[in-house]
Amino acid sequence: MAQIKIDNLRKEFGVGDDKVVALQNVNLEIEGDVFVSIVGPSGCGKSTLLNILSGIETPSSGKVEITQDRHDANPGYVFQAARLLPWRTVMDNLLFVQKDPDSEEARARCQKYLDMVHLGDKGDKYPGELSGGMQQRVGIARAFAVEPDVLFMDEPFSHLDAITARSLRRELHEMWAATGKTILFVTHDVGEAVELSNRILVFAKGGKLEDDINVELPFPRDAANEEVAVAKAQVLKKFEDLDLVAT
Amino acid sequence: MTAVQERHEEPTKSAEEQRLEAAARKEKQLKWFWRIMGYITVLGVWEFAIADILGLATGRTLDENLLPGPLRIVETFPDIVASGRFFTSFGATLTRIGVGFGIALILGTAIGLLTQIKWFENFFRDFQTVGLTAPGLVWALVGLIIWGFKPMGWIFPIVMVTFALVSVNIAEGVRSLPKDLIDMAKAFGTPQLRRQREIVIPHLAPFIFTAIRFGFSIGWKVTVLTEVFSSNEGIGFEMRVASQLFRLDEFFTWVLSFFVFALFLEKVVLQYFERRFFHWRQEVATA
Ligand SMILES: Nc1ncnc2c1ncn2[C@@H]1O[C@H](COP(=O)(O)OP(=O)(O)O)[C@@H](O)[C@H]1O
Ligand SMILES: [Mg+2]
Repeated sequence: MAQIKIDNLRKEFGVGDDKVVALQNVNLEIEGDVFVSIVGPSGCGKSTLLNILSGIETPSSGKVEITQDRHDANPGYVFQAARLLPWRTVMDNLLFVQKDPDSEEARARCQKYLDMVHLGDKGDKYPGELSGGMQQRVGIARAFAVEPDVLFMDEPFSHLDAITARSLRRELHEMWAATGKTILFVTHDVGEAVELSNRILVFAKGGKLEDDINVELPFPRDAANEEVAVAKAQVLKKFEDLDLVAT
Repeated sequence: MTAVQERHEEPTKSAEEQRLEAAARKEKQLKWFWRIMGYITVLGVWEFAIADILGLATGRTLDENLLPGPLRIVETFPDIVASGRFFTSFGATLTRIGVGFGIALILGTAIGLLTQIKWFENFFRDFQTVGLTAPGLVWALVGLIIWGFKPMGWIFPIVMVTFALVSVNIAEGVRSLPKDLIDMAKAFGTPQLRRQREIVIPHLAPFIFTAIRFGFSIGWKVTVLTEVFSSNEGIGFEMRVASQLFRLDEFFTWVLSFFVFALFLEKVVLQYFERRFFHWRQEVATA
């Protein structure tokens, strides 16, 4: 079981007059196969948090620890833009982040997750030959194909049209249910957070963790469902109370 | 790939598509027509009218031995080939370009990588500008004065005119490294070596290619120049001998065969490698 521990985390960028505090006094524990959403206005440090957890950035002070049964956990990451290598085919893009890219097992695994995002026949295409929505699905398949213990997702659907985003949300949730893992999902869309997650972390400007909300409704959650609508309204109310601009 | 081919095989084409295709064909034919017309005009004037034109301009008729026409030049070509000098001279010149430009490539790459560090950028800045702007003739003369006919006499000029082209291009490539892709690889814990091979090198490839392309086109001019001054082999040397002996048909044969050779390298060899390397762009462009 994956475990994330964040202890008094602080992150600053720049020095002197240019100094920006992206995160401060963040204390947090996440455990098990939960779907955690991170919401907050733009610039409140959401991406920075994922980047520190995934090792792209280092903390200015404090500690983060991600373990899977006491070992270092295996991470996956889905970015806001797909971030595919344009000079490699879809299949090679998936293989690129595999531990054993030359093995038959890895290839079979990648094919399995391409099938899951309905791109099973696009393995030998180059990313530039696919639509934006398809590229994003390749990014999702790539992250799932490393069979991560912890999956980071940074506003993965925000560039997509509403219909594509909706169907990808459903696919993502089915894959989460089928494979079981800890997901940290950044979004600035409160509705999306309520529909998808067990737990919602609310960040405010200056990178402070303001609220930690449990959403205990059964999945799948339909946006039209009354309970879901009520939960959304409650979270939005908290947003207003905290004086956060929900964009 | 397959989808693209299928599309080409589709039997029914709309009238609009057919019209566009016909227009493209016409455009291409016109392009080639004017290109060939250019050759015919230049060669024709040279063959039949150049003596009269120059004669009118100078008031004297021109000795046709001073400026032989293209037909005579082409006739001379088999003689040079038969004498064996054609291949030894081309071989000598090509070796020089290879050695000189090879050194420039290594040196330029090293400097290009070093200029990522701000201190070194300032350290090399003006030397790069000098390298990019100073005429090859200057370096050829400096090489001759210092080293005479020794190898450094021709290595030095080639390196001086081409290293900056390489270093500036490499630096630009490194400056624009795709941080988003490198971060992605980092987040997935992809090994350093694989990151270099799959992200850094493919990203740098077009920059290196540009450097080679321009470096080569400048490099050969300087190489021939150094041979004119300070060598007893190579195409430049043959040009010097031919001009000193007033064998202008031979002289122009050397000049023309080098043009043809440079055109071949540019249009056939380099483009072949470009197609192979940047195959994925073709795929994407036709999608
Ligand atoms: N590499 C960086 N260099 C300087 N400032 C940065 C960098 N990354 C993020 N920041 C700053 O840190 C703050 C938080 O950024 P980010 O985590 O991207 O916010 P969010 O994802 O919530 O919109 C912003 O003020 C942003 O300008
Ligand atoms: Mg962000």
